[in-house]
Amino acid sequence: MKAMSSAAVPSGGMPPEGRAPKFWKTAYRNRYLYLMTLPFVAWVFVFSYYPLWGWLMAFQSFKPGKPLFEQKWVGFDQFKTLFQDDLFYQVLRNTLAMSVMGLIAAFTVPIVFALLLNEVRNMFFKRFVQTVSYLPHFVSWAVAASIVTRMLATDNGVVNDILMGLGLIDKPIQFMANGHFFWGIVTLSDVWKETGWNAIIYLAAMTGISGELYEAAKVDGASRLRQIWHITLPGIRSTIIVLMILSIGHLVSIGFEKQFLLGNNLVLDYSQVLDLYSLQYGLQMNRYSFGVAVNIFNSVVSLILLFVANGLFKRMTKESIM
Amino acid sequence: MAVKKKWPAVLLTAALSVGLLAGCGESGGGNAGPSGSGSAEAGSGASDDLKPITFTFYSEDPNPNWTNMQDEIGKVITEKTGVTLNAEFAVGDPVQKSALIASSGKYPDIISAKNSINKFVDAGAVIDLTELIDQHAPNIKKLFGDQMNRLRYSNDDPSIYVIPTYDGVGNTIFEAGGGFSLQHRVVKELGYPKIRTVQDFENAIKQYLAKHPTDENGNKNIGVSLNADDWHMYISVTNPAFFATGAPDDGEYYIDMNTYEATYHYLRPEEKEYFRWLNHMNAEGLLDPDSFVQKYDQYKAKIASGRVLGLIDQLWDYADGEKALKAEGKFEYTYGHYPVTLNENYKDTSFWPTGFLAGYGIAISKTNPDPVRTIKFLDYLASDEGQVLLNWGIKDKHYTVDANGKRSMIKEVNDRRVNDATNFQKETGIGNYNTIGPHYGDGVKDPSGNYYTLRFPEQLVEGYSDVEKEVLKAYGATTWKDLFPKESEFKVKPWGAAWNIPVPSDNELTVLDEKLKTITWKMIPKAVLAKPEEFDRVWDDYLQQLEKAGVHKAEELRTQLVKDRVKLWSE
Repeated sequence: MKAMSSAAVPSGGMPPEGRAPKFWKTAYRNRYLYLMTLPFVAWVFVFSYYPLWGWLMAFQSFKPGKPLFEQKWVGFDQFKTLFQDDLFYQVLRNTLAMSVMGLIAAFTVPIVFALLLNEVRNMFFKRFVQTVSYLPHFVSWAVAASIVTRMLATDNGVVNDILMGLGLIDKPIQFMANGHFFWGIVTLSDVWKETGWNAIIYLAAMTGISGELYEAAKVDGASRLRQIWHITLPGIRSTIIVLMILSIGHLVSIGFEKQFLLGNNLVLDYSQVLDLYSLQYGLQMNRYSFGVAVNIFNSVVSLILLFVANGLFKRMTKESIM
Repeated sequence: MAVKKKWPAVLLTAALSVGLLAGCGESGGGNAGPSGSGSAEAGSGASDDLKPITFTFYSEDPNPNWTNMQDEIGKVITEKTGVTLNAEFAVGDPVQKSALIASSGKYPDIISAKNSINKFVDAGAVIDLTELIDQHAPNIKKLFGDQMNRLRYSNDDPSIYVIPTYDGVGNTIFEAGGGFSLQHRVVKELGYPKIRTVQDFENAIKQYLAKHPTDENGNKNIGVSLNADDWHMYISVTNPAFFATGAPDDGEYYIDMNTYEATYHYLRPEEKEYFRWLNHMNAEGLLDPDSFVQKYDQYKAKIASGRVLGLIDQLWDYADGEKALKAEGKFEYTYGHYPVTLNENYKDTSFWPTGFLAGYGIAISKTNPDPVRTIKFLDYLASDEGQVLLNWGIKDKHYTVDANGKRSMIKEVNDRRVNDATNFQKETGIGNYNTIGPHYGDGVKDPSGNYYTLRFPEQLVEGYSDVEKEVLKAYGATTWKDLFPKESEFKVKPWGAAWNIPVPSDNELTVLDEKLKTITWKMIPKAVLAKPEEFDRVWDDYLQQLEKAGVHKAEELRTQLVKDRVKLWSE
């Protein structure tokens, strides 16, 4: 957010083309604003651009302990190995599947939840529910994963006990041992953990909608549902779209915490994700260059996804982040 | 504060100048090495520089009982050497942690990284210790004796980077901690049946379960639970396959005694039969269905609940769970060890001798501020005085010496050591320092005629609970090891153990091994949990995947490594 707002400031003061003296004049006039952005520009440079230097490693056979330019250059060998690895495609499939499922869940459940919460008129109840709902966000995945595995265990697991009690099944289901359940389990536990937290931003956007609109709608005889559909949802539309474009950019890099902690050897075919792959087959084996190659692939795909999503939304809804 | 701080400094300066003068006086005869004065005979080196110094220490093996050397013997070590260790342990995957440290360029002063040490060597992060040991470590030299040549790194690079601290020199194993384990209540109830084959093991569990499906509180008893969380997979699921089929522990490979040819051990037909038996156990409902999904803490909690009748695991891997049972006094629920194999044609190979296993140990980084002090610290730990301190504790506090010079643990102290092991280790520090320095193995006697370590037959039996003694008596044995085939029944492996040979990091084997491991860890559980009639199909699928991943190429590369090791060690 900081980076975005700071970027917006100087662009506001941009002069029309072809008038250099005026540019400097404006720049001088806005000098304090420029100075204020400096720390953030430096921050972005140091943490986002300076490390790109290391991308050179992907074209080398890197050995630690030697300077970068004394390493052996191998061209595109690392990428060739990567694209020839069957495992890579499986891992990519898992990553995309889980992030798309996560994306769908993250853009329906919290929005619906926020809409419902927004309609609650009893302030105490609303606050209480909201607080309870975002509590799990603060639980670390290590703990959350252990809670989930216990709940789904065959031996005194709550879920199996309930299903058995209702007579829906006669034998406990091995939830954690079946690869087909894995994506669902990850997505659902993510929903449980993050719904409340993700709803906050939508709730905040909703408070920005003018109360007059609702009153006008009421006068026109709109029902609660109509009000939601015609006022609340359009009111938070730009928030939703900006968040969506940004998270599409992150589709490939979903991290590996939950997959790593919830997974086990039986579901490996469905639980391994790109980040874990680059860690295991890169860093852990001293194949730094290979790890970097995976990351470059990651970044390139993310960029493409981001631009495609942005372009699509621009055309369809006239909303975009660029 | 400032005033307080000054005094030690003044004293030190004085001590140093005196030491310097003394050094000069001695070296008048043209001896150019001033540091030579450190290699005095006494391990503690009273004239040495004892200025407090803190070294950072990294170990791949986490020690939950580590107290930053604030335990009783830790304080003594600091007093004698001036050294305090600031330890950092690997949490989660140790290999990954080591890789991170090796590539970060910020090395701890002292590194204990098992097989990952090759990453540090490749990065030039650790120093050659040959000279240092020669000049400053008489006790280490004495300790290793003629095993010194096993310390060399490789045929191409004969430097010493690692001082072995895992295997004890001259070690005799007195106690069995592996094999297949059964709760004492099971064998007792069934009238001590013979437990020799997987069939016997299965029958015992089956019969007991039929009689007692639940424990006295109504909780379901569990037949056998396996521990398959991450690397525990090796210990509890895959290694037992070769132990039970007459092959020694060489990691993921079986090495031919004569040709040194390596075979990926799952390809041995007899191991397929072992997994078929596990599959059968699962089909019979004797195997805990959570075996392959539970996490390590859940597994330990299950054992601590006393509901698991049988284990296929090593004592050190499940000991935390058993400790809880002992602390509660539920000795009937603790485990005995049996040399179970697939059938009577095989011998349990837990005690196949490897010779002294160098390799895993401690290294000094190139950024260590004072390698000489470090080696002297290690030398102190290796001295007779240090060894007794580490193993026995402090005289008259933990042990006594009688008129005949016989050393024995004070009774109350020993009871606590056995029954309240965790707290005991935290308070006294006994057991906290064993893998930090080189040490003598069990069964080696010091100059006073006493054993260096606490594991010797008499001490062992003292540590047994009454139930344990009763069970052992019924089987006609005094220790669990008596039930197992002896070391002398096997030929010593000239390569030590294949799992202990570091793989150079640019060797293709690293990647191949990882791929094979991924397949194995995925397919073995699948095969075990499959319906019995589908077992063969799953197994064929497994073999095919292995072939495709290049298992034979891996075998070739491994064979070469084993041959190199034999050459290095036999020179």
